Amino acid sequence: MPRPQMPHDTPTPFVQTRTGKLLGRHWALFFLLGMMAIFAFTGPGFFEVVNFQNIIHLATISILLAVAETFVIITGGIDLSVGFVMGLSSTLAARIMVTLGSTGMGEPMLIVLGTLAGLLVAFIPGFISGTLVARFKVPPFIATLGMWGICNGITLHLCDGFLPIAGLPSVLPRLGNGYLFYIHKGQSFTLFKKPDYIPDERVRELIRLVPFSFILIAAVVLVFWYILHKSKFGQHTYAIGGNIDAAIRAGIDVDRHLVKIYMLSAFLAGLAGVFNVFQTGIGNYTTFSSMYELFAVAAVVIGGASLLGGKGRIVGSMVGVLVLAVLKNGLAISGVQPFVRYIAVGVLLTLAVIIDQLFPDLF
Amino acid sequence: MNTLVAQRKRNTLGTIGRNWVLVFLVLEFGYFAILTRGFASLNIVQMILFYGTEAFLLATAELFVIITGGIDLSVGYVLGFATVISSKLMVVFASRGLSPLGAIVTSILITLCVGLIPGFVNGVLVAKLRVPPFIATFSMLGVCQGVSELLMQGIPAKNLPPLAGTIGNGHFLYIVPGSGISFMQRPDVARGVRVIEIIPNAVVFALVFIAIFAFILTKTRFGQHIYAIGGNIDAASRAGIDVKKHIIGVYMISSFFASLAGIIYVMKYITGKADAGAASLLDAIAAVVIGGASMFGGSGTVWRTILGCLVIATLETGLRMRGTPTFDKYILVGVILIFTVVIERFFPDFKR
Repeated sequence: MPRPQMPHDTPTPFVQTRTGKLLGRHWALFFLLGMMAIFAFTGPGFFEVVNFQNIIHLATISILLAVAETFVIITGGIDLSVGFVMGLSSTLAARIMVTLGSTGMGEPMLIVLGTLAGLLVAFIPGFISGTLVARFKVPPFIATLGMWGICNGITLHLCDGFLPIAGLPSVLPRLGNGYLFYIHKGQSFTLFKKPDYIPDERVRELIRLVPFSFILIAAVVLVFWYILHKSKFGQHTYAIGGNIDAAIRAGIDVDRHLVKIYMLSAFLAGLAGVFNVFQTGIGNYTTFSSMYELFAVAAVVIGGASLLGGKGRIVGSMVGVLVLAVLKNGLAISGVQPFVRYIAVGVLLTLAVIIDQLFPDLF
Repeated sequence: MNTLVAQRKRNTLGTIGRNWVLVFLVLEFGYFAILTRGFASLNIVQMILFYGTEAFLLATAELFVIITGGIDLSVGYVLGFATVISSKLMVVFASRGLSPLGAIVTSILITLCVGLIPGFVNGVLVAKLRVPPFIATFSMLGVCQGVSELLMQGIPAKNLPPLAGTIGNGHFLYIVPGSGISFMQRPDVARGVRVIEIIPNAVVFALVFIAIFAFILTKTRFGQHIYAIGGNIDAASRAGIDVKKHIIGVYMISSFFASLAGIIYVMKYITGKADAGAASLLDAIAAVVIGGASMFGGSGTVWRTILGCLVIATLETGLRMRGTPTFDKYILVGVILIFTVVIERFFPDFKR
């Protein structure tokens, strides 16, 4: 017969102490900080403002997709289509700009129309996925996998296979990769544009601060943080993920809400796609075939969400994206072979979930 | 009287409904056969089978996992991992003076053993550490990709024994009309003499393994337990099934089949590379779902999964022969996939 356990009989396990709980709740953040400390020693130039700006600038798309995936995962679903919805928006925006450009339309008009088309078209796959999931009860995995295929094919059609769509207004990459502040030490300070007397090849002499992408990221994260954590919409999202039957009984129109969630996710993917056009100045297929959707899911899970739904936070997902982005950048700067990164991501992801299992009541 | 007719009618409809994938496949084949000259021929059918071999194996791999209610995202890169290991080993063994056949057989055996490791780790993660299958196998995807890239260092393996290609691209049976038949070996005939080639070796090899595991799935207690676990895991464990052991076994079967697909890839294309199977993961899952398995587990058969693969493979070959861009394949597979699940929602009687 097992001896009854007295409360003071065994020492409290580490995971239940206050430090343990703190570590467990924010382990991804601590991991991120620890990793940065290590890279500061191993990677020359890692611990510099310029590098940090770069990391975040290059992670813009991942951040947008992770926000999208956070909403879907909280409802207990998954959106595998984000990668190619992004591709669809990106190539459609580029295609429209090129086609209209050949009719002699002015550049600002082109850009506005292309951007709008890219953003609006994303709602269609989102609406279809959402309808399939909510009204036809198709498992999210299948519905969005189907959309993955459909958007993949359409993206390939839009760029005629693997040819990049070039010939876009040259101002695009300037906007996408521009900075808010340009400082030439001791000589000049300009906003939005580099001073005219500095030619392109000497642009590295300037101190460039706050890329435009930060503004986009900040806006998106703030707006969606508010929606998820402060609005009724967000509360309903958690309710559906926590217990869908209870949510229905509480009078939430679950079907409508799910359609909205998938449309929101697709819209963010579309935004990421349009941003990609601004960042690269071309519309390109190959960018999107590299498993963006799986890495977005990975980031959200590292950030503390559960694939079963009901759990997950925007800030957590951001930390998740940063963990992956810093890992990539730091390993590259430290001269580690790029392939090691795949292994590192894999190990990290599994660890994330195992740690998560150790602290079941915390989140 | 009337009710009898009605009943019979309903039965016919039910049969069609239950086998709609087969009906769909026949219609699809018919469509391409009418539109494309030379499509309805022995050669094309064999070509569909030959290029679909890896897909059959990967889909069977995925089926076992999906029956338990899990998912294995790593199969594509386990395939790549197996191509890298087996091609490297073949080159090494052949250069150490082993006979080509010896080198090939030894490397295949070693690869099949090494190929069990990813599955074992996946299984332990899922069963013992309760990591969701999606995450565990996605992690394994990354690890396999990284390890195989590290082994390759960006250079595809070359100088494989030519015998590998001969076996992989050979046929099981050769018929020379009027003068006889030979097995496994292309008869020496003068140029221009017609040789009918029947069933590629790769297909035979794959089907043997698929048949064995189809038998295990339907006829053995292990197979029945897998269905039980997928149907209701709590009930299964209360019924005394060692759920953890079975789940580990299932993931090992999955990576075994993925390695098998990798070996066939090496024998067919005489090279090995890390991303050899990267594109086939979602096709494999799609084939299983088109074949009627539920993502929630508990259902699915090998036979229908193969039908699902054939739907995709026929589509691909058909589109290629029509000269339409193969991009349409992605769109159509996506549509068929969604269509499948919607059909089963609306006609629950079709569920098998």
